Amino acid sequence: MGRTKKRLVSVVGLLVAVLFAFPIYWMIATALKPANQLLSDSFDLVPLGLTFQHFVDGISKEGFLGSLENSVIVALSAVAFALIAGLLAAVPLARLRFRGRKGFLLLVLVAQMAPFEALLIPMFLMIKSFDLLHVLPGLILVYFAAALPFTAWTLRGFVKGIPVDLEEAAMVDGCGRWAAFRRVTLPLLGPGLVATSVFSFVTAWNEFLYALTFLQNGNVTLPVWLSSFVSVFGTDWGGAMAASTVFTIPVLVFFLFVQRNLVSGVTAGAVKG
Amino acid sequence: MSVTTKAAVPAGTTPPAPRSTVSGGGSGISTFVRRLFSQRTLPYLLLLPATATIVVMLGWPVLSVFLTSFQRLDIGELARGEVVWTGFDNFRNILTDDVFWADTLRTVLFTAACVIATVGGGLLVALLMKHVYGWVRVVLQLALVLAWAMPILAATTVFQWMFDQNYGILNKTLVELGFTSFHHYSWFQTGLSTMTVIVILITWQGIPFVAFTLYAGVLGVPADLYEAAGLDGASSWQTFRAVTWTALRPLVNVVIFLSLLWDFKVFTQVWAIRQGGPDGGSQTLPTLQYLKGIATSHFGAAAAVSVIMILCLVVLTAQNLRLMLRTEEVD
Repeated sequence: MGRTKKRLVSVVGLLVAVLFAFPIYWMIATALKPANQLLSDSFDLVPLGLTFQHFVDGISKEGFLGSLENSVIVALSAVAFALIAGLLAAVPLARLRFRGRKGFLLLVLVAQMAPFEALLIPMFLMIKSFDLLHVLPGLILVYFAAALPFTAWTLRGFVKGIPVDLEEAAMVDGCGRWAAFRRVTLPLLGPGLVATSVFSFVTAWNEFLYALTFLQNGNVTLPVWLSSFVSVFGTDWGGAMAASTVFTIPVLVFFLFVQRNLVSGVTAGAVKG
Repeated sequence: MSVTTKAAVPAGTTPPAPRSTVSGGGSGISTFVRRLFSQRTLPYLLLLPATATIVVMLGWPVLSVFLTSFQRLDIGELARGEVVWTGFDNFRNILTDDVFWADTLRTVLFTAACVIATVGGGLLVALLMKHVYGWVRVVLQLALVLAWAMPILAATTVFQWMFDQNYGILNKTLVELGFTSFHHYSWFQTGLSTMTVIVILITWQGIPFVAFTLYAGVLGVPADLYEAAGLDGASSWQTFRAVTWTALRPLVNVVIFLSLLWDFKVFTQVWAIRQGGPDGGSQTLPTLQYLKGIATSHFGAAAAVSVIMILCLVVLTAQNLRLMLRTEEVD
């Protein structure tokens, strides 16, 4: 490709990058703008002054801290349960031979395709019959079930990737089965555990339909609280953008975290031959 | 082999070829290892929590949604715990309802628009990534990751602010560019323009995944194919059609079907922007299901909508699986 052409294409590339980054820039810029510059007719791409007042206002808005807390509790509990049950299932599916193994594998695989959005009505009726509507455990249960098949399937892949020889070698050196698992397999599973939990966390953090259906009366999660921002904030876009920024930060941190931790081939070279 | 297939033994990476010491019945380490995993019940015990969860929390709802769709289940029946079978009444009512057909048509058009824009845009961005300077590529990828990572509701809120009638940056920019008719233009006045905003939002959120997936495919095209095309004197358009497009085709099919599956059942953005309004003008099947079921407590009728959605999704999923299997065969 000619040099001028490459330069031209690169300019287009930069424009596309601006297009994709703009909403995030605009969210942060609005959150930092002094209130008197927000509702003005002037064309103001760059904030002329900086203030943290919107963050203070947004955080002190009624319901923000409560829904933040609910979101953290729900997402973390769902991830924790999914990791435990998923890992327990992943080890036999990857390591052991037993009757019906193929059937269990198929069950996990098919469960991954469950169309959760279309199961709202039966889930609502079931959670209602468990008497878990309007409280967090009901929502946790659904998010746990939603995250589990993916978690089990992915962890199975990671467990398979760790050579059995390593565990056997540890047992030759005198480790018990549990110690061999804890000291050899579990640390090597670290990146896999991180990757799968980040995925499940982000999914639960984002979820809206079930949170909207199951929770109410101000005891909600952040997405539901944020969706009602018009009634909460009125035209206080600065506060809405500050709250959105706080909502975004954990996910951004997690994305960067995964990138650093997803170094493949941790086990490469651990086994000779 | 016959010694070990019955009992639970480590599967390892290869078929469980027994060690000589094991088949020889020797004592020592290998026997110890074998005994560790020889409890027949262990695998089932370990699988119990996951299996129970999947059966109760996924299996039962799938069965229950079909059962509910053949019942009249409103708030009264639910309170009294009655089961009233009404056969195909729910389906008959829905299929003769004009609102249902309007919403179905809207959902189909909406899904098609989202998928075409997302996959087309993603393909262009992937090709762009290949041809720009290295540092531009890094900037572009960073911007895409940022867009990808942004929580759905945060993005939806920001888009509402950008499309705001009075102070939104979009209207201000359009006026600045000379389109003065957009001064205080309301993007949420008609169903069509509301849907357009939702499609733009979903496309913006969906392109990063498609672009990264297709870019990986672009990188996988062998360089000598391009060299050969160059030697044959192919123009860049001919090279794209003969080399890049041919190589990307299976991957493009996969992202098309993944996008179809995702966009068909979008609820969050549609509901958060205008709750299906104005006047039902941005109502889709997922929001209809919510409105009928949760908001107005006609659970049987809503379950019938769910069943229709599930049937559509099953057809799409089966198609997707077929394509994925074919792609693997190509590899």
